[in-house]
Amino acid sequence: MKHLILGLVCLNFVVFGTNKVIAGDIKAGEARYAQNCGNCHGPAGMGLASYPKIKGKEVSYLIDRLNTYRAGTKIGPNSDLMIMMAQPLSDIEIANLAAYLNAQK
Amino acid sequence: MIKKSKLLSAAVVATAALMASPSNADTMNTPNISAMSIMNGLENPWDMAFTSGGDMFYTEKCKGLSVKTSSGAVNALAGMKGSKGYASTNDDLFCSGQAGMMGVAVDPNFNKNRRIYVASTSDKYHGSGCKTNFEKCDGNIIMRMEVSKDFKSVSNRVDIVKDIQYKPFESNHPFGGPGAHNGNRLRFGPEGYLWATTGDRHRGVVPQSPKLLGGNVLRIDTDGKAHPGNKPPRGFDKRMYTYGHRNVQGIDFRPSDGRAFTAEHGPWQNDEITALVNGGNGGWDPRPNVGGRGDCPDKYCGYMPNQKEGMLPAKRAQFMPMSDTRFSDLMPPAWNNNGLSQGTGSAAFLKGSNWGYWEGRMAVGIMGIGFGGTPSGMRIDVVDIAKDGQSIKSVIHMPTGLTKRFRGLRLGPDGALYAAVDEGEIYKITATAK
Repeated sequence: MKHLILGLVCLNFVVFGTNKVIAGDIKAGEARYAQNCGNCHGPAGMGLASYPKIKGKEVSYLIDRLNTYRAGTKIGPNSDLMIMMAQPLSDIEIANLAAYLNAQK
Repeated sequence: MIKKSKLLSAAVVATAALMASPSNADTMNTPNISAMSIMNGLENPWDMAFTSGGDMFYTEKCKGLSVKTSSGAVNALAGMKGSKGYASTNDDLFCSGQAGMMGVAVDPNFNKNRRIYVASTSDKYHGSGCKTNFEKCDGNIIMRMEVSKDFKSVSNRVDIVKDIQYKPFESNHPFGGPGAHNGNRLRFGPEGYLWATTGDRHRGVVPQSPKLLGGNVLRIDTDGKAHPGNKPPRGFDKRMYTYGHRNVQGIDFRPSDGRAFTAEHGPWQNDEITALVNGGNGGWDPRPNVGGRGDCPDKYCGYMPNQKEGMLPAKRAQFMPMSDTRFSDLMPPAWNNNGLSQGTGSAAFLKGSNWGYWEGRMAVGIMGIGFGGTPSGMRIDVVDIAKDGQSIKSVIHMPTGLTKRFRGLRLGPDGALYAAVDEGEIYKITATAK
């Protein structure tokens, strides 16, 4: 019984954890973006050369994409690069980046 | 007496030192640099070309060809498929990934014949090819067009080269989308022939191929025919001046002797500047199962080893050299960016006394690519190349105050350096010698 309760608590935590929305910090997101992302995606996520525009996208979309890349899953031709870039990101950094990019219109 | 002699010696040494020191007149001849944005709001401007009167043609990779006339008017001339607002559109011209409308050059006799030349991706000559990434795919072309007297339209398009290779599909590589590595910079050489660069298009067999146009520098006339003096190896396409390149996007001619130099983008190591030799080999050979390598993803070793993670550039260079010394006809690079790849996108020699000490040196645009710990390094370098072209004497950063992806450099007829950046602007960089 104890194990069952513990199991349910863990399951709830995981579900809660994956659905949890961390409110991103735009300023911190801007600083993190400047470290790597701007080299390819350009100022404020405007998109450069063959790298897509990512400014103004929905927060949920941006978080989902970064989580997907961080997990090593390919989506699109530059996936290898994005996987490499996303793997060091924490949940908070992803939330911050999403908040910053979403705020760029 | 001893004291007097010591004093005299000291005076002699001091005088000699003064005489050996450079004078202010020498050291103060570094030009003042100022940069001003002259166009903005563009979409991936890629290249520019000038008439002697200062009219500037420019390309936007996914839109088309336009001109900013010397009076300041901007006219959209030749659009690509789906482009709006151009005097004419060309439904065979398209963009995908790195590919699209790229290089542009003005005929040396433009004032008489009104001709310009444009390199672009086109689906007009795919024919039965282009069904997979592993076959011939004629998808990059060079067009000749005539510009109307009022600079408002172009006509009489003739495709003078129709068989430059193109990558039609995604592959298992970094930057692996369709349209990779097209070269497509166009410049007229001092003898009046057109030089065109081509890329390896992520296909291992292309750069060392005798017949496929890709990973070459071509030297052709204005009808697309080979220069009679080209000396590629026996059995090679006569349009090739050099072969064995990766993706040359910078080419210009040294003012002192007319020699062609390229600036080439390395994979994750070794951007290079190279003095071209007629018939020479750039030494890039990304085929699997050669040069000590085994199989590679999608038959292309260009990003190996360990193509999904950062690693020491020198280790990569050892495994997959930009300039492989096993080739006896190798053209050795004069410079390799300290072993890094940061994206040498274009090059232009600086001409005119306004450039002071830098007159005759090569400006190289670096787009900035920072993977695996390499600093991105967006900048313009000023490179002093040795007379024999085998080394450089110095390289310094031009103090433009700009941190941009420098895609296209071109010297204007006014002696200023013009720079197209991926951020959608064209800059005029002016030098004033002191």
